[in-house]
Amino acid sequence: MVKEFNILITGVGGQGVILISELLGRAAVTDKLRVRGSEILGMAVRGGSVTSAIRIGEDVYGPLIPTGKCNALVGMEPSEALRNIACLSKSSIVLVNTAITAPFTVFIGESKYPSLEEMLNQLGKASDRVIQLDAVKLAQEAGSRLATNVVMLGALFGTEQLPIKIETIKETIRERFPAKLAPVNIRAFDLGYETCRQAVK
Amino acid sequence: MKELTISSDAPGQQLFALGNEAIARGAIEAGVQVAAAYPGTPSSEITETLAGVAKELDMYVEWSTNEKVAFEVALAASICGVRAMASMKHVGVNVAHDPLMTAGYIGAKGGLVLLSADDPWAWSSQNEQDNRYIAEQGYIPVLEPSSVQEAKDMMADAFKLSEQFGQLFMLRSVTRIGHARSDITLGEITRERRKGQFIKDRTRLVYTPREARINKPLMLERFEKIRKAVNTLPYNRLRLADGARLGIIACGLSYSYTLEAVKWLAMEDKVSILKIGTPNPLPEELVIKLLKSVKEVLVAEELDPFVELHVKAIAGEHNIPVKIHGKDLLPRIGELSTRKVTEAIAHLTRAKTPVDFASIDKLEQETAPILPWRPPALCPGCPHRASHYAIRVASRRVSRELGKDIEPIYPGDIGCYALGYNPPQEASDTIICMGGSFGIANGLAHVVDVPIVAHLGDSTFFHAGIPPLVNAVYNKANITMVILDNSTTSMTGFQPHPGTGYTAMGNETVMLKPEDIARACGVKFVEVVDPFDLKEATATIEKAIRFEGPAVVVSRRLCAIIEQREKKKRKEATVPYRVDPEKCNVKCNACIELLGCPALIKEGISTVIDGSLCTGCGLCAQVCPYQAIVPEKP
Repeated sequence: MVKEFNILITGVGGQGVILISELLGRAAVTDKLRVRGSEILGMAVRGGSVTSAIRIGEDVYGPLIPTGKCNALVGMEPSEALRNIACLSKSSIVLVNTAITAPFTVFIGESKYPSLEEMLNQLGKASDRVIQLDAVKLAQEAGSRLATNVVMLGALFGTEQLPIKIETIKETIRERFPAKLAPVNIRAFDLGYETCRQAVK
Repeated sequence: MKELTISSDAPGQQLFALGNEAIARGAIEAGVQVAAAYPGTPSSEITETLAGVAKELDMYVEWSTNEKVAFEVALAASICGVRAMASMKHVGVNVAHDPLMTAGYIGAKGGLVLLSADDPWAWSSQNEQDNRYIAEQGYIPVLEPSSVQEAKDMMADAFKLSEQFGQLFMLRSVTRIGHARSDITLGEITRERRKGQFIKDRTRLVYTPREARINKPLMLERFEKIRKAVNTLPYNRLRLADGARLGIIACGLSYSYTLEAVKWLAMEDKVSILKIGTPNPLPEELVIKLLKSVKEVLVAEELDPFVELHVKAIAGEHNIPVKIHGKDLLPRIGELSTRKVTEAIAHLTRAKTPVDFASIDKLEQETAPILPWRPPALCPGCPHRASHYAIRVASRRVSRELGKDIEPIYPGDIGCYALGYNPPQEASDTIICMGGSFGIANGLAHVVDVPIVAHLGDSTFFHAGIPPLVNAVYNKANITMVILDNSTTSMTGFQPHPGTGYTAMGNETVMLKPEDIARACGVKFVEVVDPFDLKEATATIEKAIRFEGPAVVVSRRLCAIIEQREKKKRKEATVPYRVDPEKCNVKCNACIELLGCPALIKEGISTVIDGSLCTGCGLCAQVCPYQAIVPEKP
């Protein structure tokens, strides 16, 4: 039985962060794993930072990932991945979707958006295993830009570190989405999975 | 196999649930028959969940106009012998405080539970108040869960305990319980449904001074019985480690952090732990046992030193020589965490922390300056953006005439429109409490001489906006009150209210109009505008500000998210706008700087509209000085 596996999913409101954590949680329960988690939605449906923790294992009690104890960080947006740098350790796997979403404060000159290189460089100081992928492109390849979050979910499983069975998560995806949308999402999952597996090798 | 849901009668089965769903499940298992609430983060999903299964389970669930009414609805049901609950966020309990302080005197016939959802770190609140103090003041016993599973179990038990001791109970949740997720094991559902019966009982129910004096000693007796009983409740547990120097008293969720911290430090055999599930009253016998067995104690609890002060009192009373730590090592501000508890234990035991936190902090501090600022923003197409803009333009027009140093004051309120306090709207000069915009405006009117334009939402108006509106009429406060009517309670998840025409259980009902209420209250200037007709809305608000005496403008437009959902249902296409690059002056930037709509973005130096976000409200087209923003062809 797994002792502790911590996943932090980060992104911007509207990117489907919570949906991914729900899929992971349901799949974990199906696989008879102990699961805890918590989310912070900011105050708005759209636009703000969103983080969601999913923690699996026998030694997990609290809803939050302790500082430095994240096993896998799923960054739907690079600056939001970076915002959560304190949860990382050298052995954490960091998956970064390279498609940026700049906040409006950047356009009104109230703040600056860093370059992708600078962000990846900074993440590299915390973790030795930063993996970048263009999840939006892969989602479009799968058939819908809206499946970007499921591409990232596939990538998470592509690390081959998860205590949840691949068949279980795929079944959970099929159950969660309407029949019409399930195939696109399964394709998105597979593309994310393969891309990450190649990158890990 | 039938899919497992929150109302499934499937004892022993596992479900992945949100904490608030688990709390609702606990109430379902206890056979709650009446549930009333006013929405407020982090409590809203409890009543939403109950409302969704109310008809199927033969319960009555309502969204009340405010927390005071919600509590009174539940109290009445309890008086009639029916199991009842009221749910609210921590500051909602302030609104219910009046009946709450006498409810303890009345006691409970049908099990009565108040759910208080506290919000350490004020993630979505105006303060961090610790409602265990309110409970103590009212002789209300408190159950405080350490996990989502325990929240469910406690909720189910709370009704039984309430009936067993004849006293109402409080379940104190926090954000990381209500908005945590976990596997939960379902329990049995009680199918018993009681018929409410009102038995006239002057001595217990009619509070003149005589009854207060009769009932207070009875309440104290009930509370003393509870004080003894909590020592054997399963929610309070003492685990003594042989020869331990350090003991930890961990209240509520802090217990989960403590278990992880002790494990992380590999000190499971070295510290004694007392888990507290009833901070009010504390299990005194267990506390004494722990205090006598160790040299030092750390009290881990979120927010105020509630347990700590009581533990210190117990130690003093019984002359136990033990050093008690708490808020000297753990913060009064914000949430606790495994890390914070780990550091406090490491400090007391002179142990090394399992991780070099200092180096992680250094990297985080070094990262902070390069991160873009991403405040939550009003949604694309949000009508509040237009209202804020119209209020500002109209107020400035008037104030400019009064003198160049005259700045209008914009008292704001609790709701989505509060997001407009960020740039570029900067729409609120005060945000204090529900209905506070109109109340503060009343006071300002008698001490400053500038235009005062207050705003609040429709749900907030019904909740706490009517008394200050009446006050403005009665006391002749020269203020403008704008009601931002988006026909829902949007911030907390689109709950219905008295202006929407339907109830929590989906039944049709009357649709109250704020403008009718304002007129009935004697306001002489009442107008209704559509904020997306910016010119007209601005002109009307300007007239209202110029009007001598209190004036009301209802700025009505359906919440953009609901509108988009309804359009989708009707299979109606959204026609987004686009920027015509031929006409757009790239140096202008007015649309972005004035409106800050998430759909307006920059690609290089060009302003473009993200067609996937744009709802086609056309507000930016109205403010563009170059007429460069036009609808995409449908």
